[in-house]
Amino acid sequence: MLEFITPEFLAFSMFIVTIGFLLAGYPVAFTLAGSAVLFALIGAELELFNFAFLSVYPFRILGTMKSEALVAIPLFVFMGIMLEKSNLAGQLLEAMSRAMVKLPGGLGVSVVVVGALLAASTGIVGATVVTMGLMSLPIMQRAGYDPKLSTGLICASGTLGQIIPPSIVLILLGDVLQQANEQAASKQGILVPEPVTAIDLFAGALIPGLLMVGLYIAYQLFKALTDPASSPKLEGEMSLSDSGEKVSLFWAIVPPLVLILIVLGSILCGIATPTESAAIGAMGAALLALRAKSLSFRKIYDVASDSIKVTSMVFFILLGASMFSLVFRGLGGDVAVEHFLESLPGGRVTAFLLVMGVMFLLGFFLDYIEIIFMIVPIVGPILIAMGFSPLWLGVMIGLNLQTSFLTPPFGFALFYLRGVAPASVKTSDIYRGVVPFIGLQFLAMILICIFPGLVTWLPKVLF
Amino acid sequence: MAQRHRCAILAAPCSMWASILMKKILKLYINLIDRFNGVMGFICSILTIFMVLNVFVVVALRYGFSVGRIWMQELYVWTHAFVFLAASGYTLRDNGHVRIDLIYGTRSSRTKAIVNLAGSFLFALPFLGFLWKWSFPMVVRSFGNLERSSEAGGLPALYILKGAILVFCITVGLQVTALIVRCLLTLFTDENYFQPEGHGVNASPDSVRLESETV
Repeated sequence: MLEFITPEFLAFSMFIVTIGFLLAGYPVAFTLAGSAVLFALIGAELELFNFAFLSVYPFRILGTMKSEALVAIPLFVFMGIMLEKSNLAGQLLEAMSRAMVKLPGGLGVSVVVVGALLAASTGIVGATVVTMGLMSLPIMQRAGYDPKLSTGLICASGTLGQIIPPSIVLILLGDVLQQANEQAASKQGILVPEPVTAIDLFAGALIPGLLMVGLYIAYQLFKALTDPASSPKLEGEMSLSDSGEKVSLFWAIVPPLVLILIVLGSILCGIATPTESAAIGAMGAALLALRAKSLSFRKIYDVASDSIKVTSMVFFILLGASMFSLVFRGLGGDVAVEHFLESLPGGRVTAFLLVMGVMFLLGFFLDYIEIIFMIVPIVGPILIAMGFSPLWLGVMIGLNLQTSFLTPPFGFALFYLRGVAPASVKTSDIYRGVVPFIGLQFLAMILICIFPGLVTWLPKVLF
Repeated sequence: MAQRHRCAILAAPCSMWASILMKKILKLYINLIDRFNGVMGFICSILTIFMVLNVFVVVALRYGFSVGRIWMQELYVWTHAFVFLAASGYTLRDNGHVRIDLIYGTRSSRTKAIVNLAGSFLFALPFLGFLWKWSFPMVVRSFGNLERSSEAGGLPALYILKGAILVFCITVGLQVTALIVRCLLTLFTDENYFQPEGHGVNASPDSVRLESETV
């Protein structure tokens, strides 16, 4: 009677059921790990799954615990929260918009730049969009910006920060892609695969990230020139000839930018590992806060206590997802996916588009971290073995998910911005506001498909 | 009226007084666990500050003086591992473990209580149980032969690091039981026992509470 239950069937029911469970709202990490255990038990009961398979799990955890590269995550989180809590980010935004008061749409341009630089710290789309929304939406409203334009800008640049280095999403993606790459190589009989590290991914994501920043800024300038009412100049302009004013603007803008450049530069030039640069970044952020006279022991403690919460959350999801993929593999789900993707008509292009489509849909419900840990270990090795470059794949996944987070009606970013936007901003404004940015996203993805060099050129030159 | 009625269900055979006493005991239990994990959070926050300094010192020594010590490098990796495991219960206490709140976010506290109750018994407790069962022998073996780091010049106490997995099970497990009690209280009385909502970074409800705990 139960003949239709094959291990593969069980693997896919686990996938679907887990997504259903996740939507119920119990913490993601527990749900991933717990439903994997549940299905392992069912599988063992039906004699379709060997429970001994899971005895490697504690060693998997130990591997994560001993990873030096992943220490970069708490350090970058510490840096980001420090910049935010000491109000350096807010001051940067204000100072930049005042410095660019002569430029049409200067405030919008500042929002893009600050979002791209500073929204990278947590890896949670919800948190960054909320932060960006709280920080910049009031300023933009006071300046009289069109709500459609301002909400679109905030959603787009708040999510963009996640894939601009240094971001923890890229560090996690680097970790997962490296393992996928090794598996793909062993499948093809290559003994020493070319390594894919977070550093490569940082270098690969830099040009596409800057391209997106450029496109957003171009759109803002275009709007400001063709429709000046949508992005009026700031009221009460101060004259830039006042030298005291200039000095204070300088101190609000230059040090945070220099800090980010040092961190990023030392990684990309191969001087320091991401972990080392992150430590410099964390110390640097604390020193900047000290200079701005907003550092106390209380504040350091608060920043540390917030960063351990984010770090625990990220790593617990990592542990849960690693249990999930272990059981999925144990049930033979990965082999089934491989057979399916290889048997598709149209070969690797169809396989790639299908995977991207599935990720896009999952992006309506799940955040970066969950998707990276759940999907990439399964499909990553297959696509890499089909000949896709791991770096290019990583950047495309990042851009694809970001687009998904922006797409109405389910996009994460819209949902969270709605939560912090005042009632005067209509939901339909938010939905219509992001449409041009979704267009820009697709434009960038098509460009990267036509010119893969946009991703692969810089890592090749640097390393 | 409704409150009295539900209390009666909770302690059906007992009298009204017994149910009030039970409520007191359960609240005390929640408080105790919350405080325990508050202390864990305090320890881990302090360790994190030291970890940032530790990595910075390693970087400064390497680039400034070309000095590298394996044990110093291991120290921050291990601190990090201990922190993210031991602070998991603290994170759960403050609702920092991310949820998909597309649907959950708009539900009543009763529905939330049911979701959390089901999730705790279906997912959290079985997972922690199995993790304990699988890792316990490994940790015991490691403590037995006082295992040290496999790196030359590394730290001596690898068994403490492995033991952190069990610390994880305990801290999270206790906090899950507190969550279960919270759900039961929310379901059977008309009061809401959930923590203030929010995502890790934006919510810091503990800044007030910690003062009384540590002083």
